[in-house]
Amino acid sequence: MADNEVGETGVGQDTNGRNGREAEFAAEWRDAAYNCFSSGHKFCREVCPVMQVTRNENHSPTAFHANVIAMEQGLVSVEDTARDYVHCTQCGACELRCPNTLFTGDFYRYRTRTVDVVKAMRALAVEQGVEQPAWKRWNELTDERRNEPVLGEVPVSQEHVADWAAGLELPLGGETVLFCDCEAAFYRTSLPRAVAQILKAGGVEFGLMREQWCCGGPAAEMGYIDQARRFAEHNVADWRAVGAKRILVLDPHDYIAFTEDYPRFFGDDFDFEIVLVVELVAELVREGKLALTQPVERVVTYHDACRLNKRKGIHEAPREILRAIPGLTFKDVDHVSQWSYCSGAGGGLPIERPDLTAEISRRRVERAAELDVDTLVSACVWSERPLSEQGAAGERPLEVMDLMELVARSAGLDGGEVRA
Amino acid sequence: MTAAATAIGDGVLDELRDILGGDEYVLPDVPARVNRTRVPAPFPVHRWGEFLPDVAVLPRTTGHVSEVVKLANRHGIPVVPRAGGTGLADGAVPLRGGIVVDVKLMNRILDIDLVDRTVTVQTGINMLTLNRELKQHGVIYPDDPASYPCSIVGGRIGTSGWSLIGGRYGHTRDLVISMELVLPTGEVIEVGDGGGRKVRKSSTGFQLKHLFMGHQGTLGIATEATLELVPRPELEFAAFFAFSDYQTAWEATGALAKSGLATLAGVVLFDEWKLAYLRRDDEAYIPQPHTVRAVIASAMYGARDEVEPAAKRLMRIAKETGGKYLGDEISQGDWASRHDRYATPLHGRLKDGQVVPMCWHCEDASIPYSALPAVREEWHAIAKRYIDRYGIFDDWGMFAYTNGAYKPWGDYLTEIDIGIWEQELDDENWAAWVDCKREIAEVALRHGGSITACHGATRAGDVELVPQEMGGGFEVMKKIKAALDPNNVMNPGKYLLDQAYEGENGREAVR
Repeated sequence: MADNEVGETGVGQDTNGRNGREAEFAAEWRDAAYNCFSSGHKFCREVCPVMQVTRNENHSPTAFHANVIAMEQGLVSVEDTARDYVHCTQCGACELRCPNTLFTGDFYRYRTRTVDVVKAMRALAVEQGVEQPAWKRWNELTDERRNEPVLGEVPVSQEHVADWAAGLELPLGGETVLFCDCEAAFYRTSLPRAVAQILKAGGVEFGLMREQWCCGGPAAEMGYIDQARRFAEHNVADWRAVGAKRILVLDPHDYIAFTEDYPRFFGDDFDFEIVLVVELVAELVREGKLALTQPVERVVTYHDACRLNKRKGIHEAPREILRAIPGLTFKDVDHVSQWSYCSGAGGGLPIERPDLTAEISRRRVERAAELDVDTLVSACVWSERPLSEQGAAGERPLEVMDLMELVARSAGLDGGEVRA
Repeated sequence: MTAAATAIGDGVLDELRDILGGDEYVLPDVPARVNRTRVPAPFPVHRWGEFLPDVAVLPRTTGHVSEVVKLANRHGIPVVPRAGGTGLADGAVPLRGGIVVDVKLMNRILDIDLVDRTVTVQTGINMLTLNRELKQHGVIYPDDPASYPCSIVGGRIGTSGWSLIGGRYGHTRDLVISMELVLPTGEVIEVGDGGGRKVRKSSTGFQLKHLFMGHQGTLGIATEATLELVPRPELEFAAFFAFSDYQTAWEATGALAKSGLATLAGVVLFDEWKLAYLRRDDEAYIPQPHTVRAVIASAMYGARDEVEPAAKRLMRIAKETGGKYLGDEISQGDWASRHDRYATPLHGRLKDGQVVPMCWHCEDASIPYSALPAVREEWHAIAKRYIDRYGIFDDWGMFAYTNGAYKPWGDYLTEIDIGIWEQELDDENWAAWVDCKREIAEVALRHGGSITACHGATRAGDVELVPQEMGGGFEVMKKIKAALDPNNVMNPGKYLLDQAYEGENGREAVR
C-alpha cells in the first residue's frame, strides 16, 4: 500500500515525516498483525507474565498486534502507544500459546511474531524520538562503558570486564571463545567462574576476547538498533581478530542476540558456530568427559529460562544435567506448564518497570515454594537476581542457583562463592 | 492524526480516579480505548473509530463498580461492561462511547467451600486459571467453552455461555449458583434461584438468576459469583466415528444423544464441508480417507465405575448405527485439543486457493434435531452465494453439538463457520456480511430454532430478528429494561432496547 492511499484518516497524506513513517511501518507489519487481529481470541492473555500481573489489555500481545492495524487506520500514533510496549519481557509465551502457532504452525511454517512486532515498534519509537527515560539512560551508559551498567561490586568498564577470570589463567583468543554476559561478568561472577572451570575439566579448549563489549542484544530489545549493530560489529571484529570460529555462550539472552540479531545484521557473512554452554555441558556429561561425582544434597526445581524454553525450544538439556547430579532431589514442572512462568527480567522490563519484575519473580518463587524445595535452579543469569531477591524475602527462604554453579559443585570444582 | 480526544471531561476523569484509587486504574489514553473496542467476531475495521469508548476503568471491588455506575447515572454516561473480550456477539463493543468497566483485575478467589461444594470468585477470573487452583482439592468448575483458556466468568454470565461438556455438567446458567450484581442504577444485590448464596434450588420469589444471565451487559454487572464444584472426573472417554454419508451420521447422533447415559458429556456431528476444511487447512487433524463424509465425536466424563460400562454401550450404539470407530489416536488427541482448535482458522482461502488472513464467524443457532439436515443444506447454499458474489468469504463447514444440559437430545447448537477477509472490508462488503448473517439467522427461526445458543443475538444481522424470535417476550424485555435502567446507561443501543425509552415507556435515550 502506497502512503498516499491510506485513506481518509489521513495517516499517509500528512506531510509530517513521522506519520509517513508510521504508515510505512503499518504496511510492513500489517499481515503479521492481521493474523493475530483476525483471530483475536487472546489465548495469550493468561500465559503472559506481564498480563498475569497488570490484567490491562493495553499490555496484551493482542493489543501489540492490533495497534499496528489501528495505526494503519490512523487511530493510534507511535507516541500514543510506545509506553505500552514497555510491558513485554519478550519471553515468547504468547507466540507458543497462540492457536495460529499451535495448529497451523508446522503446516505453514508459521509462528506468531509478537517479539518481532514489539522490537520493531520499540525501534520505531526510538527512531521517532519517543524514548523511555530509563532505557535511554541505560543505553547511554552502555554506550559509554561498552558494557551494561549492571549494579554490583565490580565497576563496569573494559578494564574490569574479565576480573571474574582472575587466577583461572585463561588464554586470549583461539578457535573457541567464551563470551561472558554483562550481568555475569560484573555481578554474578560465580557463574562464569563455574563455567570456565567446568569447560576446562571437560577438556574444552577456549579463550577470552581481547575486548568484550556488551552483545548488543539488550539495545536491540529496547529499540536502539544502531547501537546494537555497532556493538555487534565490534564483537565480530574482535572474534575475527583472534581467529575465533566457535563462540561459547553462557547466557540465553546472548544466545538470542548471536543466533537471531547477528545473522540479521551480517547475513551470510556471519559464519560463526554458536554453542550454548548448557547444551555443551550436557554433552560432556553424556559422553563421560565430565564426571559428576560429588553428591549435592538439595531439593530443587528448575526454572525454564524463557529464551531457552519458549524462544528456542531448549528444555531437555538442563533437565538431563540435573538428573545426572548425584544426591539431588529434582521436582520438575514440565516445560509446557512453564510457558506461563517468567522471572520478569527480560526485554528491558526491570529497567523501566522494576515493580513488575519483582512481582513476576515473586509469583515464580511462590510456585517453586509450593513444591517444598530448598533451591530454585535457573539457567539464565538475568533471572537470578530478581528471583534471588524474592527467594530471600519469602517466609521460608529459597536459594536461587545457576545450573552451572550446581554442576561445578558436583564436579568437585570450587566454582567460586555463589552470590546470594 | 489519531483518535478523537475523549468526550469525557477532566472533572469526570478526576471523579473516576477518586473512586478507583489511582491513575493507573483510569485509562483515557487512545490505545486503552482502541483495544477495548472489539471482540473476535467479524468487525468493520474500516469503521473502528465509531466504536471507541471514552475511557476504560479497572475496578478491583464491587464498591468500585457500584460507584462508577452511580457516577454514570449522575452524568448520563454510557457504561459498557467488559470481561475477557472474547465474546462473539459484540456485547462488549461500545456503541455510544462512555465508560468501559473492564473487570479483569477483579480476579480473586474469595472462598473455596469443600463442604457445601462451592467456590466464590470475583468475576474477572478465567476458568482455566481457577481450575489450576481447584485441582489440588480434587474438584473442578466444569464450565468448559471452546474459549476455556481465555474467557472469563463475568463474560460467561453476561452471555449465558454454553459448555462443551454441558450435557453432563450443565452450562453456565446451571453452574452459577448465585451472584453479586451491580444494577444499572448502582445498587448492589445478590441474586440466586431465590435467596441464599449457596442454594441451588429455591421457589422463593421470581427466578431472578436467569434474568441476570445473558443480558449482554444491559441489566448490570456481575461482580462476584458463587459457582458449582464437581468431583474431578476420574475418567474421560472420547470416541470418534466415521460415516460415509451425513444422513446416517445424523441418525447415529440422535441415537447416541437419546441413549440416556448420564455420563454422556456431548455428541458433536461434523459435516462433509467441515471435514474438507480440516483436511485442507488443519494440520493437527488426522486426515480421513475421502470416503469419510461425516464424523461424530462423543465424550463421557465421570467415575470409572460409571464411565467404563457406559462407554461400552456407547460404542455398541455407534456400531449398530453405522459408525466406524476412528481409533484411539484421533479420539483422544482430537478431543483433548478441542479447546485449542476452535480458533484454528487464522486464515482462509479465496476461490483460487490463495491463503489470506481471515477472521472467523461462528454461527451458534439452536436447532431442533429434526431440522438439522434441512438447515444444513440451506446454510451452505447461502454461504455459497455470498462466496461466489463477493470473493472475501470462505465456508469452513458445520458442527452440531448436543445442546441441552443433562438431557442432550432435543436440540443442537448448530454452527456454520465462515471466514471473512477483514482486510478487504468496506461499507459494501460489510453490508453484504450483515445480510449473509441475517439470512442464516432467518433460516434458524423458520425451522423453529433460536438465533443463538450461547453467544447472544446483539450483533447486526441478528438483532433485527430478536423481536420476531421473542414475540411478546420482547415487550417484557423493554419494560424490564426501562424499569431497571431509567437513564439507559447500561450498554445502551444493544438489543434494540432504546425502544424501551420511546413513546409511553418514557424518555429518549441518553446519547
